[in-house]
Amino acid sequence: MRVLVVEDFEVLARTIGTGLRREGMAVDVVLDGLDALEHLAVTRYDVVVLDRDLPGVSGDEVCRRLAAEHSETRILMLTAAGAVEERVDGLGLGADDYLPKPFDFAELVARIRALARRSTPPLAPTLAGADLSLDPARRTASRAGRRLDLSPKEFGVLECLLAADGRVVSSEELLERVWDEAADPFTTAVKTTIRRLRAKLGEPPVIETVREGGYRIGGA
Amino acid sequence: MDLPRKATARFHLPRRTLRLQLTLLYGGVVVVLLVAVLGIWGLLYGTSSKAAPGSPASAVAKAQAQAAGNGHHVDILFALVLAVAVVLALGLGWLIAGRLLRALRKITSTARAISASNLHERLNIEGPDDELKELGGTLDDLFARLEASFESQRRFVANASHELRTPLTAERSLLQVALADPDADVEAWRATGEELLALGGLQERLIDALLTLARSERGIEQWHDFDLATVAEKAVLVRRLEADRRGIRVETTFAAAPGAGDPGLVESLIANLVDNAIRHNVDNGQVDIATATRAGSAVLRVVNTGPVVPPEDIERLFEPFRKAGADRTRSNDGNGLGLSIVRAVADAHGATIVVEPRSGGGLRLEVAFPVSSRGKSQAPVPALSCSRPA
Repeated sequence: MRVLVVEDFEVLARTIGTGLRREGMAVDVVLDGLDALEHLAVTRYDVVVLDRDLPGVSGDEVCRRLAAEHSETRILMLTAAGAVEERVDGLGLGADDYLPKPFDFAELVARIRALARRSTPPLAPTLAGADLSLDPARRTASRAGRRLDLSPKEFGVLECLLAADGRVVSSEELLERVWDEAADPFTTAVKTTIRRLRAKLGEPPVIETVREGGYRIGGA
Repeated sequence: MDLPRKATARFHLPRRTLRLQLTLLYGGVVVVLLVAVLGIWGLLYGTSSKAAPGSPASAVAKAQAQAAGNGHHVDILFALVLAVAVVLALGLGWLIAGRLLRALRKITSTARAISASNLHERLNIEGPDDELKELGGTLDDLFARLEASFESQRRFVANASHELRTPLTAERSLLQVALADPDADVEAWRATGEELLALGGLQERLIDALLTLARSERGIEQWHDFDLATVAEKAVLVRRLEADRRGIRVETTFAAAPGAGDPGLVESLIANLVDNAIRHNVDNGQVDIATATRAGSAVLRVVNTGPVVPPEDIERLFEPFRKAGADRTRSNDGNGLGLSIVRAVADAHGATIVVEPRSGGGLRLEVAFPVSSRGKSQAPVPALSCSRPA
């Protein structure tokens, strides 16, 4: 899952980034609205965590443009406004959810996951395919009842393949969805991770390599 | 529930309303005038009937009887005319008063309906350019000022709320993320602790700034004499370290500049100006701070090199939580209240601020404390506060 955090308070932005990465999300952090718009123009994010009070381009403006141009991206707005009307304002601009400051980090994670599930078509809270099942919220995965011990990236790749529901997922797409912008586009990281993931999943092989295409699970 | 009660209250006119008073006044004046006119007429008539004193007794008696008969007629006529006039005067008075007071009633009902939530509404009194229209216009101006003041207050609260809650959120997130990390070692906890301390310091400075702002907006309670040079020297001394750290040269020219007011607030004014000048500067920049007496007033001048500030942005610099354009990043430790405090303190002292962009970037700022401060002359016991040792 690819998440963009837009927050001008540097310590908070960095902490949210660290926390979400530990939850297995691919996170990019930007400190102002202009930078956010630039990131959104080149990368497709599942969820954007957006502070309302931003320098440069305001959070409201980012939200409005985002809702108009990237309808598949979910917006979680962070707001310090105490009054309900001001919070609801943000929803009117196209935000999918809001979280008043100060919030509990666990709630932020839960809301981001809930928003990611609201992609089209909606995803179930737990993903399944072949004899695999995966629970993104609990960060557990199992094959035929056997618990799998996966690294965050392996988990992310498996989550992406299961969410695709039989569709072929290219290496580039995996790189974009599971790795953040720090990843080198010419890296063999995807290949390596798939190899390790296959080893952990065991026999019979469940991840299929499609030539010139990518990978899939449970396809025809 | 509230509405019908209001309606009936207006319908009954139980009090001595202005309309009723005007009607009675008008009616009363008409009646008095009428009685006076009729009285004079009656007097004239009465004198003519008492003519011919030398006539015989029978003729006199006859004339008297006739006069009495005539007088009776006249009395009834008087009463009739009077009654009709009173009714007419009261009725017309009621209508005229109502018409004149219609605008006033509109002002009352609109003013009653306007509250903090719909301050954008206006009376917009139509009609001739009379006193009532002037009253409506005056009230409209008042509403406009109130609206602007409410709006700036609302914006201030929203900004303050954001500035106060954000570090709090960062603290909580820092702790929760650190606690959730199963591999956190002493080093990681140390880093978290240091960040928490820094956040605490930030909040402390913000709260101090908010309190200083509130204190200066309340005005000055006790006026004391001070020398701007001494206060400035003290404020600059503690800031030299920070200036050195940033590689900025601070030049000072302190000449005696006596003034009166709250030396604590004046010190925070100078401190905020100098902080600002050091913070919004360029590499190897310079800050010049000078105090002097000019035409009897104590003047402080702060000139700094720095990024170019467009003249149209200058007024905005003094608004709370507004920071100029791209300069508004949080890594910069300003809290956006510095120049608001400067303005509030200057206002409290009746001092004037003149700001202009320095050619080549930066600002040139001058605060002039008045000769005989307006506040000082209004102070309850200025002599006492002056003679008392500070």
